[in-house]
Amino acid sequence: MMKLLESRLRRSLLFSLFLLLLSVSAHAGEKAPQGVQLSIGTILASNESDDFDAKLSKMKKQLEVIKYSSYRLVKEESQKVPWNGNALFEIPGGRTLAVMPQEYRNSRVSLKVRLQEGEKPLLDTTVRIRNRGNFLLGGPAHEGGVLILSISATVQ
Amino acid sequence: MKTNCETVKNSLGAWLDGELGHADAEEIRRHVEGCPACSGERRRLERVQVALRGVLETESSRVAFEPFWDGVRRRISEERPRQARLWEWARPAFYPQRLAWAVPVAIVFLLAIFSLVQYAPGWRWGVNRGNVAAVDSIDGHGFNVAVLRESKTKTTVIWLFESQEEDDEASGEPTAKEPSF
Repeated sequence: MMKLLESRLRRSLLFSLFLLLLSVSAHAGEKAPQGVQLSIGTILASNESDDFDAKLSKMKKQLEVIKYSSYRLVKEESQKVPWNGNALFEIPGGRTLAVMPQEYRNSRVSLKVRLQEGEKPLLDTTVRIRNRGNFLLGGPAHEGGVLILSISATVQ
Repeated sequence: MKTNCETVKNSLGAWLDGELGHADAEEIRRHVEGCPACSGERRRLERVQVALRGVLETESSRVAFEPFWDGVRRRISEERPRQARLWEWARPAFYPQRLAWAVPVAIVFLLAIFSLVQYAPGWRWGVNRGNVAAVDSIDGHGFNVAVLRESKTKTTVIWLFESQEEDDEASGEPTAKEPSF
């Protein structure tokens, strides 16, 4: 009985060692993240109608947090930027959104975000979001409603 | 079957009780009929059986079987404590030969969790779970800023707005007057 147990223990420990080596080699082969794919969706929210843009269906629950009756996707833009590189996005109304990915830690991307109108800065913020996650930045008035920016980042 | 006396003596009880197959029983019968020693053994066994049967028939009427069967029935229907049932269910997992595999199973489990966190970052435990963003710093450059975190949809909203007083003085309307959530 003891011999059987010893032999099984030896086999199980060898198997564990094999799994550990496999795991270590798999992680060693991983590439460090090269950059970030940034996606900006510009949404016009207003109370002038009850229309909901079908292209925003995936975000419906998120947008319900903001109490407007109508949502329309005005613009969608995506850019791949290196770490600490600056991505500029043109926002309707002569505004610019600058996004700089700073670091990736604990599956979260740290983004430095600046919104400005012409030369006038409107907002500076640093936000950490989950990889492939997003956050909403809203408030700038536009065409009888307000603009809501959905800012998302995917580590490449 | 080899029918020497030793073998026959060993099978006599089974033969008398009718437990042997037809061919074996016939062989024993033929040997016993032709062998005085085995025939004597057979008669001795038969006497013992008759005596035992007599004792049993006399004494069994005095034995009270009902309480015994009641006890058996009670123990069968008795509800065992939950811990006892749980232990009965889990006990095979603690057999030493199975316990030996607990080490690699635990490693596989931990690696699976680690891989899930690495490759599917949406799958998180605790506070990091979900889409909720953390706002490390924020500057509205004179505008009011509200941060809303909605737990149900794990949504973070940063809202930029002007206060009513500032709005009266402002010439344009670069932002909404107040947050609408």
